[in-house]
Amino acid sequence: MLDKILESLYLKVFVNIVVQRTKTVVYIELRSKKEIIEEETVEFNTTALNNEMYNFIVRYAKESPYYYISIVDCSAFQGALPTCEKNKFSDYKDLSTAQYKCFENKWVFYTSKNDIYELEKKYEDVGLDFIFSPFVILQNFFKDKINGNLAMYVLVQDGFISVSMFENSQLLYAEHLEVLTGDDTDDILLNDEMDENMDLDEGIDLEDIDVEENDIEDLDDFGDIEDLDALEDIDEFSQSKDVEEELQESLDTLPEAEEDESFNEDYQRFTLIQSAVAHFYKDEKYESHFIENVYISDCIGVTSDLKKYLEEEMFFNVYVRQADLAVEVCELAKMELGL
Amino acid sequence: MKYSFIKPKRKTPITPEVQIVFTFFFITLIMLFLTYAFLLYKDYTFAKDKTNISSQTQHLQVNIKKMQAQIDFIQKQKALSEKVFTKNMVLKDSISNLFDLVPQRITLSRAQLLKNGLILYGITPNKDVYSFMLQAPLRSIFHTSYTSFYPAKNGWLMFVSTNYMDKSQNEELDIEN
Repeated sequence: MLDKILESLYLKVFVNIVVQRTKTVVYIELRSKKEIIEEETVEFNTTALNNEMYNFIVRYAKESPYYYISIVDCSAFQGALPTCEKNKFSDYKDLSTAQYKCFENKWVFYTSKNDIYELEKKYEDVGLDFIFSPFVILQNFFKDKINGNLAMYVLVQDGFISVSMFENSQLLYAEHLEVLTGDDTDDILLNDEMDENMDLDEGIDLEDIDVEENDIEDLDDFGDIEDLDALEDIDEFSQSKDVEEELQESLDTLPEAEEDESFNEDYQRFTLIQSAVAHFYKDEKYESHFIENVYISDCIGVTSDLKKYLEEEMFFNVYVRQADLAVEVCELAKMELGL
Repeated sequence: MKYSFIKPKRKTPITPEVQIVFTFFFITLIMLFLTYAFLLYKDYTFAKDKTNISSQTQHLQVNIKKMQAQIDFIQKQKALSEKVFTKNMVLKDSISNLFDLVPQRITLSRAQLLKNGLILYGITPNKDVYSFMLQAPLRSIFHTSYTSFYPAKNGWLMFVSTNYMDKSQNEELDIEN
C-alpha cells in the first residue's frame, strides 16, 4: 500500500538497451502516470557497458527510484517452441540448460541460462530488470495480425533475424538466426569452395547415389501442378492479400539498395528465411501449412531487395513495417508493469 | 513476469541512505518523546511533592504556632516561678533579717506575716529591753507599730507587736519585686 502511494509520487524511467553488431542503442523514456515527460535515444559505439553509457544510464536512473532497465536477448541459443507442455519439449529441443517461459499457455520461448547469466553479469553495474525474447517483441508488434490466418512473421535486427509462423495466435514454428557479416560470409564461401574442390578431386561415383522409389513417387505429385492453374485458386491467392497492410506500406516506401554490403546482407536474410521456411515445411515435427503472407518488422531499414527476393523467389505477399526495437522493448516493459 | 526472462529488482525510494536518515530521525524522536515523558513525570512528581510540602508547611506552621504558644506559656511560667522564687528568697531574707533583729534576750513564740504588716508574739524580760532592742528596728521598717504587754507567770512580759506599712510604700515594694 505504502509502496503504491510512493510509486504514484515518482516518475518512471524506462531504460531500453538494444545491442547491435558494432554499437548499442539506448532509448530512455521518462513517464508520469499519464504521459511521456521526456524521451531520448542515444547510440554508443560499443557493444559492452562502457563509462560513457554507464554515466548516461545512471544520470537518468537517478531521476527516480522507479527505473527499469530492459534489454533484448541476443543469445544465439534462443528460440521458441509451439507447445507449453514440458513433456513435449524434448520432441523439439533439449531445454535442460535453457530458461523458458510459457506465453499465454500457447507456446514457449527459451534462451540459454548461461547467456542470461552472462548478460546480467555484463550489465551488473547498472542492473537489468527485464530481458525480453525477440519472439515476444514480434508477437507484441504484430498482435493485430497474429490472431489471424497463418503467416510468417520476421523480426529483422542488426545481426539477427527471428523467424516465426503463427496461426490464430498459436506459434507453429520459430527460429532465431544470426546474419553473418561480410567477412564471415566470405569465409563461409571460401570453405564451401574448398569443399567443392575436394569433392571434385574425389570425383562422382554414380553408384553411390541412391534413387529411392519414394523420391520418384514425389515427382509424380508434380502432376497436381495443373490444379494450381485453376482460376479459383488464383482468386484465393488474391483474396489472401492484406489490403490494409499494403495501403500502410505504400506510404512507407522502402529504400533502394545502394551498397554491395546491404545487398549481400539482404540476400543473406533472404537465404536464412528460405532455409527456415524449408525447415518448417520439411520437418514433420511442425504442423506445416502453406504460407502466403509474410510480415516483416524492420528495425534496421532493410532495402526493397529483401521484399523483392521473397516475392519473386518464394511467391509470398510481403508486408514490411518499420519498427523501433528500443521503443518496442519499452512497450513490453510497460506491459510487464501493467501500465 | 509474463514476458521477461528475469524478475525486476525491487524498486523503492527508501534507499539504505534514506533508511539511515529515517532511523536517525526515528531514534531522535523517540529520545525526544522519552525526554518529554520523563519531564512530564518529573513535573507531575514535582507538583505532587510541592503539594505535599505545602500541606506539611501548613501543618508545621500550625505546630509552630502551637509550640510558640507553649513556649510563651512556659516562659510566663518560668517568669512566674522566678518571681515566686525571688519572692520566696526575699521572704526568706526578710524572715532571716527579722529573726536577726530579734535580740537574744527576747524570745519569739509566734510570728505572723501579713501582706502589709507583721504580728509578733513573744516574751521579754521587761519593757525596756523590748523598747530598745526590738521596737526601734521595727519602727525603722514599719510606719505604724502597736505593742501590748501582759505579764507571764515567771514575771517576764508577754507581748504582741502589730506593725503595718503605708499603702503607698507597700505598692513601691511590689513594683520593685
